Amino acid sequence: MARFRHLVPMVLVAVAFVGIWELIVRLQIWPRYLFPSPVDVASSLYDLWTQAVLLRAIGATLARLGVGFLISLVLGAILAFLMVHFQTFGKGIQPYVLGLQTFPSIAWVPLALIWFGFSEAALLFVTIIGSLFAVTVSFADALRTVPPVYLKAARNMGSDGMDLILRVTVPAALPHLISAAKIGWSFAWRSLIGAEVIFATVGLGFLVNQGRDALLLPQVMGMMVVILLVGVLVDRGIFSRTQEWASRRRGLLPSG
Amino acid sequence: MKGAALKLVMVGKRFNGKAGPTEALRDINLQISEGEFVTIVGPSGCGKSTLLNIVAGLETPTTGWVEMDGRRIHGPGADRIVVFQDGAVFPWLDVQGNIQFGLRVAGVPRSQREARVDEYIRMVQLEKFAHARIHELSGGMRQRVALARALVLRPSVLLMDEPFAALDVQIREEMQSVVQDLWLRSKTTTLFVTHDVREAAVLGGRIVVLSHRPGTVSAVLTNNAPRPRTLETPEVVEQIRRSNEILKAEVQWSNQPKIQL
Repeated sequence: MARFRHLVPMVLVAVAFVGIWELIVRLQIWPRYLFPSPVDVASSLYDLWTQAVLLRAIGATLARLGVGFLISLVLGAILAFLMVHFQTFGKGIQPYVLGLQTFPSIAWVPLALIWFGFSEAALLFVTIIGSLFAVTVSFADALRTVPPVYLKAARNMGSDGMDLILRVTVPAALPHLISAAKIGWSFAWRSLIGAEVIFATVGLGFLVNQGRDALLLPQVMGMMVVILLVGVLVDRGIFSRTQEWASRRRGLLPSG
Repeated sequence: MKGAALKLVMVGKRFNGKAGPTEALRDINLQISEGEFVTIVGPSGCGKSTLLNIVAGLETPTTGWVEMDGRRIHGPGADRIVVFQDGAVFPWLDVQGNIQFGLRVAGVPRSQREARVDEYIRMVQLEKFAHARIHELSGGMRQRVALARALVLRPSVLLMDEPFAALDVQIREEMQSVVQDLWLRSKTTTLFVTHDVREAAVLGGRIVVLSHRPGTVSAVLTNNAPRPRTLETPEVVEQIRRSNEILKAEVQWSNQPKIQL
């Protein structure tokens, strides 16, 4: 039980939050259909679960995210490598990549809809373009952390080209590359959910918007909670863990 | 594994830095026989490390060239291995992984690789740490890894760039005797750069004294003290005194106001 003791304050906050929420509902300041109770939200989620809608939505969203994020990682890695390796190219493109990183991904949606219609491709496009620049910038930063003396030593022992990249650059930058991927995933996640709310026909974002269309506030709020939970689970469960593992291997964190 | 002879001909190096061009090295001429142990000593900023990088092929000279066994060198090669000041051992690999790095690059088959790595792990007395990660090792142990990683490739020339400068005095002396023992066994041609005159005198069969920027050869001292030596060997003490005199004169000379012609 001692393992979970650190979670106690977090659980207490959740209990207090739900309690206050329930209290406000009982004061009947707003009509129930505009301000549902926690129980309404839970039962709406339960219905979505038993009708197998929820699981299907999670699957669809995560599949899109997986594909889009993977493409974004590959393209970002190539761009970052070119930026670091060819300095003039890097200097030329850096301001644009930095600028586009701040560009809100939702603003890509109209373009995506015109080019790809109401399709999976449009959702993927927004996911990729919404995360690509953040991935590129943080990958490039990660690659720049590699101490030149490692590359020098490796070249001295006969390594070069692809061998040097795979044997030295990538492992040397690994903890930073994982942090970069984590940043990238959060961009991809936000872009995808945003796009799904606007135009998907299946997925977590779609279910939020479906709730709005039908004025089913329990569904809207319930789906918001689900999106929050899925995001936190991916972030903590996958990225924070790999990050910790990589840092510990390198002695950047106390082992134990 | 047989050492190679080195010949440096009119080697010079200029850098174009932000504060304008700097001349790091000028007209370095040196002949080093196979199996010789030469130390290069000089004040900081005399271009010692640059000279070593040029021999390694990691930097190209602006003038002159380097020959190994009569052939000009172009670019780096596993026949000339550098041991860097901070070792540059790879923190993402364990001791064994570091030592076999060069062998893997060279495509040595696994069976041979393991036997050779074990041999060199024993040679630097790290048997108990074969699977330790680099962050678990002390500074001296890391340099042992760097040394084994270099020697396992059986280079013709071993280049050492102030490898013990960052170590405590006691560890440094211990490492000096490790290097001396390994050299007595392997007779690999060795160029050892240091700013520590005592270290240069203990290790070097010849001591090359470089001047302040631009680095030029001020003196080449022959050091015939019997091996294995320590800092207390009388001939070594005498070499230290002589080298110090030359270096002191160098520093005074370089501090003179320049005469404008």
